[in-house]
Amino acid sequence: MARLVSTALVRGLMRSSRASSAAAMSRPAIQKFMNYSSGLGGAPNANGDLTTTRVAADPDTHQDFQPTSKSSEMSFDDIVAQDIKEHPVVIYMKGYPDAPRCGFSALAVKVLQQYGVPISARDILSDLKLKETVKAYSHWPTFPQIFIKGEFVGGSDIILSMHQKGELKELLGDIAQKGEQNGSS
Amino acid sequence: MGVTKEDVEAAITSALSPSHLVVTDTSGGCGASYEIEVVSEKFEGKRLLERHRMVNTALAPHMAEIHAVSIKKALTPAQAQPEPEPAADKPQA
Repeated sequence: MARLVSTALVRGLMRSSRASSAAAMSRPAIQKFMNYSSGLGGAPNANGDLTTTRVAADPDTHQDFQPTSKSSEMSFDDIVAQDIKEHPVVIYMKGYPDAPRCGFSALAVKVLQQYGVPISARDILSDLKLKETVKAYSHWPTFPQIFIKGEFVGGSDIILSMHQKGELKELLGDIAQKGEQNGSS
Repeated sequence: MGVTKEDVEAAITSALSPSHLVVTDTSGGCGASYEIEVVSEKFEGKRLLERHRMVNTALAPHMAEIHAVSIKKALTPAQAQPEPEPAADKPQA
């Protein structure tokens, strides 16, 4: 996906083409994300898409015009923007929901899983650039970082506090229903 | 090495002039992990996210050397009042 986006940027294509490629990609992405919460395997691959295709050669583009490291920076911003736009609950964390590599990330996942909502997750440990991009995006220094309905909600302390106060239930209530609809359609 | 508990306290005190501040070193001594409780008037009218941001901003110069900060409480004096006084360990009249 990173390649598609960055290629589109390099070529200066219209937004519409980016949007359509994004739409085409989003369904499998959701299914991959669902794997996390249902505990199926293959998690590293889902994230691997992001890192391994970033600078891969594009057969349609002359060598001179292929994405450079500069354009891949832009694509990371796009990826974050797209993640939080298309997925109601996104967590950038250390490790994966099934195998968190930090107590705070584990806690945040555990809290979110109480609500039966689809959780989209990316491991920021596997990609330093993604980590830096997310930090800059939210102006937040630590991980995990949780985005709900396109908005930065906070880290594990805030998620836990919202959970305890019942605010999270309010915020996630309609997502749980929507998630079921998406899953069945 | 790194950031001491005193550094963290000083940074938060100068930024938020808290009426109550507890910084706990949870790293086991290396100074890389802290738990923080703050009560400050400056939190008045701010959402939790904004309050945490204020603490983060205060600690920004130190964050590179701190591995983990957990903000356990970020309350206004009014919010801190109804709870059983958290500063109960202070021998007060």
